[in-house]
Amino acid sequence: MPLANTLTILVVDDQQTIRSLARMALEQWGVGEILEAADGEEALKVILTHKTPIHLIISDYNMPNMNGLSLLRAVRAHGPISKTAFIMLTGRADKQMVLSAVEHGVNNYLVKPFTPESLREKIEAVIGALK
Amino acid sequence: MDPMAAIRDTFFQECEEQLSELESGLMRMEGGETDQETVNAVFRAVHSVKGGAGAFGLEDLVRFAHVFETALDQVRAGKLDASANAVRLLLRASDALADLVRCARDGATPDEAQTTSLAAALKALTNGGPTDDGHAEDDEDDGLGDLTFLPLPVAVEAETTRPTGWIIKFRPLADLYGNANEAALLLREVSGLGPVSVTVDTSSLPDFADLDPEGAYLKWTITLQSDCDEQAIRSAFEFVEDDCELLISRASDQADEASLPQPGVDEGGAGSAETIRSPVPIMAANATASSDIPTDADVLAMIRKAQQSVSQPDHDQPAARSRQGAPPAVDGTSSKSDGGSAVGATIRVDLDRVDRLIDLVGELVINEAMLTQRVMEAGLARASGVAAALDELEHLTREIQDSVMAIRAQPVRSVFQRMPRLVREVAAMTGKQVRLLTDGEGTEVDKTVIERIADPLTHMIRNAIDHGLEPTDARLAAGKPEEGVVKLTALHRSGRIVIEVADDGAGINRERVKAKAIERGLIAPEAQLSDEETDNLIFLPGFSTASTVSDISGRGVGMDVVRRSVQSLGGRISIASRPGAGSTFTLSLPLTLAVLDGMVVSVAGHTLIVPLSAIIETLQPQAANVHTLGTDVRVVAMRGRYIPLVDVSMALGYRDAPLEADKSVALLVEGEGGIRAVLIVDAIQGQRQVVIKSLEANYRAVPGIAAATVMGDGRVALILDVDAIVSVTRTEILRGDALRAEPFLLQAS
Repeated sequence: MPLANTLTILVVDDQQTIRSLARMALEQWGVGEILEAADGEEALKVILTHKTPIHLIISDYNMPNMNGLSLLRAVRAHGPISKTAFIMLTGRADKQMVLSAVEHGVNNYLVKPFTPESLREKIEAVIGALK
Repeated sequence: MDPMAAIRDTFFQECEEQLSELESGLMRMEGGETDQETVNAVFRAVHSVKGGAGAFGLEDLVRFAHVFETALDQVRAGKLDASANAVRLLLRASDALADLVRCARDGATPDEAQTTSLAAALKALTNGGPTDDGHAEDDEDDGLGDLTFLPLPVAVEAETTRPTGWIIKFRPLADLYGNANEAALLLREVSGLGPVSVTVDTSSLPDFADLDPEGAYLKWTITLQSDCDEQAIRSAFEFVEDDCELLISRASDQADEASLPQPGVDEGGAGSAETIRSPVPIMAANATASSDIPTDADVLAMIRKAQQSVSQPDHDQPAARSRQGAPPAVDGTSSKSDGGSAVGATIRVDLDRVDRLIDLVGELVINEAMLTQRVMEAGLARASGVAAALDELEHLTREIQDSVMAIRAQPVRSVFQRMPRLVREVAAMTGKQVRLLTDGEGTEVDKTVIERIADPLTHMIRNAIDHGLEPTDARLAAGKPEEGVVKLTALHRSGRIVIEVADDGAGINRERVKAKAIERGLIAPEAQLSDEETDNLIFLPGFSTASTVSDISGRGVGMDVVRRSVQSLGGRISIASRPGAGSTFTLSLPLTLAVLDGMVVSVAGHTLIVPLSAIIETLQPQAANVHTLGTDVRVVAMRGRYIPLVDVSMALGYRDAPLEADKSVALLVEGEGGIRAVLIVDAIQGQRQVVIKSLEANYRAVPGIAAATVMGDGRVALILDVDAIVSVTRTEILRGDALRAEPFLLQAS
């Protein structure tokens, strides 16, 4: 049962709006550290250079440069970070997209627009209840 | 600001970016670029608007964006052909989406009829594809109910079993200090073992009056992130072990009561900031990343690998197009993350700060000029070390000035981007087919110039379509393609920015223009004007050739208003027209409104500045070449042409009688529209760059004077408004009785 304030969560979305909304929700629960990246490429750099491990990646699917699926694949393929929890954000419940993400080891998905509650629900489904 | 309101602002800002991305993408599609990357960028723009709108409960927006997105999804999937008609509809939908976004932002009521009909058209386009609205889709079963996601305890357990370190509670006793030990040094010692976070407990600190200077009142809690053993920590406190209370425990043991604070987070009480100041820098120095952190090269290699290995081009964007395309701009809304992690190449700066800097640099320029003058007056030789240093200073000052000005410079793209929609609307209203070509969007110019050319430019484009281009049947009859072309170009030419609006229409109907000008009393009926002069009549106040005032250009704004707003920017406008081939309007604007290269002249004991950009040449007029026409109009014969002569001292009311021509210096100047005149001044002092100070803002507007400046000697000099002076002459000549007999004045005779 992880403590919210020991968690480091990375939010990846090309929209600042979505990142800010997620950050606000995460801050409300006292998540220790919230990182942001605007696309998969930036996210990878953050993941690989951040001093402490990142516990959860919440990433949009459709982004320029490097999309969510590519990010997921890159994370899963890289030993030291391959176990990082991953939640995919999607605009619509695009079944095909979710299925391919599952195939590559996504831990859950969340349909946008999300509420703070639905976000928390998904996070808890992935890493256990937050305290 | 309420955080939600701030996010909402961000959302609308991002919407503007996405809308312009959408429009430019659709226009590329219109031009035949229907590659996956373009289509996906267009899709993503709508998709993002919808996603954000949903978060703010903007139902109208979500519903329309959804229908739009569905259509684009079909294009993306290759189920819908991006035909010219389809793209045109998508462009109209993008306009409607922009309207909806702005209505949502401003709380206005959107045009429901337009939205509904476009939504219907989009649905029809998608062949009766999904006809539900966004919500129906979001609510419906996604068919993934049978997917089970297993919780992933692994990742977080990894966190708790990771050797996260120690929590050290340290309370020095008075003896510790008495034995000449220093708590800060001990903390520093501990910080050598790994990243630490230190909090101080100042709760036992007494009031100052009760404070025993040799007492010990502080307690520290140190969180050490290190997998060292307890002994290593104890050894740090080796020499003070008897003089303090020391409690060392594993961080995980205490996780429940004292969770692991993040390094660097100051959780201490009021007095803590001061007390921990000394350990903090050391801590930062020691908080180096562990050795298995990959280098940039590793990261790039991984990214490359990841991108290559993705096998679904359908959902992937191979090129970093949008990144490269975004120009750095002061208020450009880069959507990069603002989290501490991402490295941004741009910063946002308040415009006021930049303007303040520009003002200061202006003062610096003046100051530098004053200093130079003083040094010269002091009689120091040109070759002296001081003079050389001054040259260097001048050089640097110029460079600073240029660099500061560059901060305010922005590409004209932001204005050009508004035009495609305008063209679509005017084309629809006039029933003409128009293609807009743009060139040079990246040309940079001062932000104020950009803001203020939008209106004149809008008007010129409207005019070009409404009056410039012929109706379709007339074009066909003339053997031209059905589709008219309006070309908008920006470029730099000799220190100015030039914007051209060209159409391939019928050109100016000179007979009609002349007739209208005579009818309006703007020119004498017998006036003989060159083609160029005739064309330029359309800039005269009170001139309008449209026999019926149309909805489009007839909004009470004539070309004279356009000209005036361009002039107020220190710009000029001119027209070149060829019958049957079209017209080109050319705006020439200064790159910046803050400085000006000027000719310093003396007029009746006053110092004036004539903008260098207006001067063609300087000359010494011979009395024999000066002719007087009528009572007071003088002209000078120059290379077979007569050019009107303006005595500046009289024009500004410094003198009552004109200066003898051969005792003066003449400047041949060109005003807007290529109208020339010869200005008579007493003498030329020199040439220098001056900082423009608005006369209007500091005093009041004065006819014939554009602005003022402060000279090196501290005196104020007025900057001549050449365009105003020249146009006065021109009007006098065109209308003046003296010229009735000799109307063909401006041409060689």
